[in-house]
Amino acid sequence: MTVAFAVPDVLVARAQAGDEAALEALFRAFETPVYNLVRRMLRRPEDAEDVLQETFLEVVRNIKQYRGEGHLWGWIRRIASTKALMRIRRDQVRETESLDDEPGKPGMHIGANLDLERAFEHLSDTSRAVVWLHDVEGYTHEEIAEQMGKSVSFSKSQLARAHARLRRMLDEGAHA
Amino acid sequence: MMHCTMEDLGALRAGEASVWARRHITTCAQCQAELEALYQRVAQLKALPALRPPRDRWPAIHAALRVERSRRRRTWGTWTGSLALAATITAVLLVQPGQQGTLYAELSQAKQQSATLEDSLQQYDIDGRVLSGHAAAVVAELEDRISILDGTLAQQQQSVQDAELVKLWQERVGLMRELVNARATRARYVGL
Ligand SMILES: [Zn+2]
Repeated sequence: MTVAFAVPDVLVARAQAGDEAALEALFRAFETPVYNLVRRMLRRPEDAEDVLQETFLEVVRNIKQYRGEGHLWGWIRRIASTKALMRIRRDQVRETESLDDEPGKPGMHIGANLDLERAFEHLSDTSRAVVWLHDVEGYTHEEIAEQMGKSVSFSKSQLARAHARLRRMLDEGAHA
Repeated sequence: MMHCTMEDLGALRAGEASVWARRHITTCAQCQAELEALYQRVAQLKALPALRPPRDRWPAIHAALRVERSRRRRTWGTWTGSLALAATITAVLLVQPGQQGTLYAELSQAKQQSATLEDSLQQYDIDGRVLSGHAAAVVAELEDRISILDGTLAQQQQSVQDAELVKLWQERVGLMRELVNARATRARYVGL
């Protein structure tokens, strides 16, 4: 999922002029990449759907401000990841922080045949976000740190811990 | 024997590892295998199929956009009127005996609360004042969620699921309350 999604300039221009059909066409072009991105970052599917909506509401509201610098996908992706990260932060404030430090959390027995996709889903939202943004979307630690309001070393250590945990889960799965 | 930590492996991948790690990896088969496994995991993550949204969200976004466009011509304070028509329509549909009566009462209550909150919001309408980054983000997110909800409410006029509608309005009241709180906190902060 690292394809560069391109749309014709004329479509963007029509969307900027407020053409509803063009706005819908933009939504159709990007709904899956946006949803996939935020769904990978967020634990609850319904949160991902909400962020998809919020992202496009902001896109249609601010498309006039998009000046064509960089890819449209880069612009939309940034809106989406910022919103997803905000949600993660808000939930953490509410749940008084539950990072993925819980090694072998009780009640979370992972059986054999655990594949990477499922192991990934067992990570905390913060870890998932860092892994996905860094490893799949190609964000730098500096960019992640800035968007999360954390330090670069936080981003680096989250990534390392997440990979250590993935490795452990896959290993346990293989030997179960 | 000391081996590479996951941080070391990540640093190796990024080409910013310590001298020790760079030297160690050339001689240690175990760490080479770990690094290879790390590359494999990343490649596998990249290859995961795209997850598709389970429902079409465009109608809700579109409706929210429409509500917003018509609202833009009014001010925050008076746009409650735009929902008054919806209120009338649903009220007519909901005036029925029994359980429907209770739903209707709940619905009116939620709408009333919503309207009251709109009024309080006007007091704190501090447009033109610069909100802090965080406060602005909170307010913007709440306003987004209310817009989307209003879009949904506008759509629901046609096919009213009574209980569902009450739930939506109650959710709106909750969001409005949060928004008023966010604004009020800010207002105190700037000394209003
Ligand atoms: Zn080693």
